[in-house]
Amino acid sequence: MSSAISFQVSKKGVLINLNFESKFSDVKKELMDHVNKADNFFAGADIYLNITGHCLKLEELSELVNIIKKYNDINEVYIDNNFEQKKTTINKKKNEIKNKKDTLLIEKTIRSGQRVKYPTNVVIMGDINPGAEVIAGGDIIVLGKLKGVVHAGADGSYDAKIFAMYLEATQLRIANVISRSPDENEKNSKYDAEIAYLKNGKIIVENYNN
Amino acid sequence: MAGKVIVITSGKGGVGKTTATANIGTALAEIGKKVCLIDADIGLRNLDVVLGLENRIVYDIVDVVEGNCRLEQALIKDKRNNNLVLLPAAQTRDKTAVSPEQMKELTNDLKEDMDYVLVDSPAGIEQGFQNSIAGADDAIILTTPEVSAVRDADRIIGLLEAEGVNDPEVIINRIRMDMVDRGDMMNIEDMIEILAINLLGVVPDDESIVVSTNRGEPIVLSDGVKASQAFNNIAHRITGKDIPIMDLRKDSVMTKLKKIFGLG
Repeated sequence: MSSAISFQVSKKGVLINLNFESKFSDVKKELMDHVNKADNFFAGADIYLNITGHCLKLEELSELVNIIKKYNDINEVYIDNNFEQKKTTINKKKNEIKNKKDTLLIEKTIRSGQRVKYPTNVVIMGDINPGAEVIAGGDIIVLGKLKGVVHAGADGSYDAKIFAMYLEATQLRIANVISRSPDENEKNSKYDAEIAYLKNGKIIVENYNN
Repeated sequence: MAGKVIVITSGKGGVGKTTATANIGTALAEIGKKVCLIDADIGLRNLDVVLGLENRIVYDIVDVVEGNCRLEQALIKDKRNNNLVLLPAAQTRDKTAVSPEQMKELTNDLKEDMDYVLVDSPAGIEQGFQNSIAGADDAIILTTPEVSAVRDADRIIGLLEAEGVNDPEVIINRIRMDMVDRGDMMNIEDMIEILAINLLGVVPDDESIVVSTNRGEPIVLSDGVKASQAFNNIAHRITGKDIPIMDLRKDSVMTKLKKIFGLG
């Protein structure tokens, strides 16, 4: 009897082929056995699952993916159709980042036309110039001059805050609320920290030191 | 009612396309025409700044073509004149984000509701330029009295012809009659002879344009400035009025005196 799964190693990672004559239950069983035997053998590798020839239900597919994820320390799992690696990506790393509530630190000025987008908090040690955009799932802290467009709580968090040493943003956005700078804005250029947050559905900007 | 799509282009950068677009658009709106300005300079948008509308941008032209919003949502109403709207460019993208076909569709939609759709073209002859002329019915070529600018204008006229945009008209920007008179600057007749197209207007070099551009207030809204008068005249000529090119020579000593005594 030919086996239900076979392995191929290439430059990009490990390809798992399903034998198109095998039943799903056989495939599952054999894969499970292999996972149990493999130990750290696939550590650090990307795994590509080739299901060509099979018509799987979504549940069946996710069952297989879940089994594959039990290989110790593998990098990422792809569903691969004849080496065309595009379909579904299960990105373990990204999920970890979201859960950890971590922060992106940028130690330079964000210039016009540049755009920073990050799922959690962002700290900029520099300025955000007019025409630049910073979008964060959480808070945005600017240890410099904020003159561009910033969007905190872009994933819908109403409790997100924007802090800047000097706040003269073109636009402030928190969750789904937008406020723009006043048209006549003659601010002196002294640093004076301000913080912006949502209160009763409106963006409030106030002096940080008071 | 279907309006006209007019592209404002030059080939060369820095000759004043954006300032001209803002001022001609504002002047047309002041006459009572419904006007939409499109900033086709994706990645280097400026028209919003010159109009003082930067802080109102939420959606832009790329959001419209990518289906992130409806066209009306991206149109920004001018803060001074209700007849004027702006479709801003995206700043964090590049020219390839929009195709000539999409541009054509967009301008066709817009001209249904507008008297004039003015497209502010980016410098150069690459995709940004191709996009900006894609839906154009007419073209305005902007040039300055410099050999290089006129050379580029000539190249653009040829490219427009090849794309089927015929009979463009030219605006000569930043002319200084005192330098022309001294023979230090190309004169209007020489430029028209080279380009061999209709002259739409001549705008004098003026310090107050720099001031108004930086403030985000088009110069056509201030009185008593020759450049303002020049842009207003251009707007009227676009609507079909026959207005002679004004005399840009400096006032003579006599008229200066008359002005001082309130007789001018």
